Amino acid sequence: MTPPSTAPSHVLIAKLESITDLTPEEREAITALPMRVQEVLADQDLVREGDRPAQCTLVIEGFACRFKFTDKGRRQIFAFHTPGDMPDLLSLHLKTLDHSVGTVSACRLAFIQHEHMRELLRRHPRLTDAFWRDTLIDGAIFREWMLGLGRHDARTRAARFFCEMVTRLRAVGLERDGTVPLPLTQAELADALGLSTVHVNRVVQELRRERLIAFEDGALTVIDWAGLTLAGEFDPAYLHLDR
Amino acid sequence: MLRFQPGRVATGVDEDGMLVWSEERLVAVLVRLSEIHAGLDLVGHWFLETGYGRLDVGDKPTFADLDAARAWIAARLGVEG
Repeated sequence: MTPPSTAPSHVLIAKLESITDLTPEEREAITALPMRVQEVLADQDLVREGDRPAQCTLVIEGFACRFKFTDKGRRQIFAFHTPGDMPDLLSLHLKTLDHSVGTVSACRLAFIQHEHMRELLRRHPRLTDAFWRDTLIDGAIFREWMLGLGRHDARTRAARFFCEMVTRLRAVGLERDGTVPLPLTQAELADALGLSTVHVNRVVQELRRERLIAFEDGALTVIDWAGLTLAGEFDPAYLHLDR
Repeated sequence: MLRFQPGRVATGVDEDGMLVWSEERLVAVLVRLSEIHAGLDLVGHWFLETGYGRLDVGDKPTFADLDAARAWIAARLGVEG
């Protein structure tokens, strides 16, 4: 994971530079952005459906997710957010949140007041483009998840999810020797993949048995990338990574 | 009255199964969870692999034993266990 000494702005810059290029002035402006850093335990709600936030959240370390409950109390996780992501960026323009954001693992977060974000974007219009691009990619990931939830079987769904997380974490420099942090429980995977924990466990065990992945202690190692992308019908084009 | 009929279920891993009949209609297929589910602490528990009609629920439950499965199925169907 990111070393604790990492400046909060550094992860945001790394994230934006994974999808676009930044000028030195833009990097400087992001570094100067006022941020309030806070450690938050795992499984805590950060903002809830119906809230009207006055700030955006930046993940510096750890994993967060976006989710919603059905009336019967069943949770669907829409997205996992990793260092450099701003899971509630949309609150800048959509006043009332239509879903909730919470931590998955213990997180180090930075909170940025909306007024400071607006000021940054007014002064640096190219950063508006960068965040717009990020938002569009967020939408592209949602489309892929919709395809997975609606049309892929459990094994394909799980395999493509692992491919996506490895690709995204690699892009922000969090892959070490083929291993990425993935601090998710089977229940969280089940809520994201729209499967029961039993089905998730079956497919994870199957991918392990086939020597495609190792997944333990919150870390995912890809043993056979070609095999895993084949199993997941994975094409990283939808992530629109720049490098 | 529910009738439980043992059978193998081609799940690939949890194949020890039980077909559940209500009168002459198949209402559910249960499977006994194998040792691959040790991490979930569910080895030996029964899982609702498939349910039909009122047993076609989104959140598929697991049961510690067949009595618990029978009670849940009977309650949902409104029939005698």
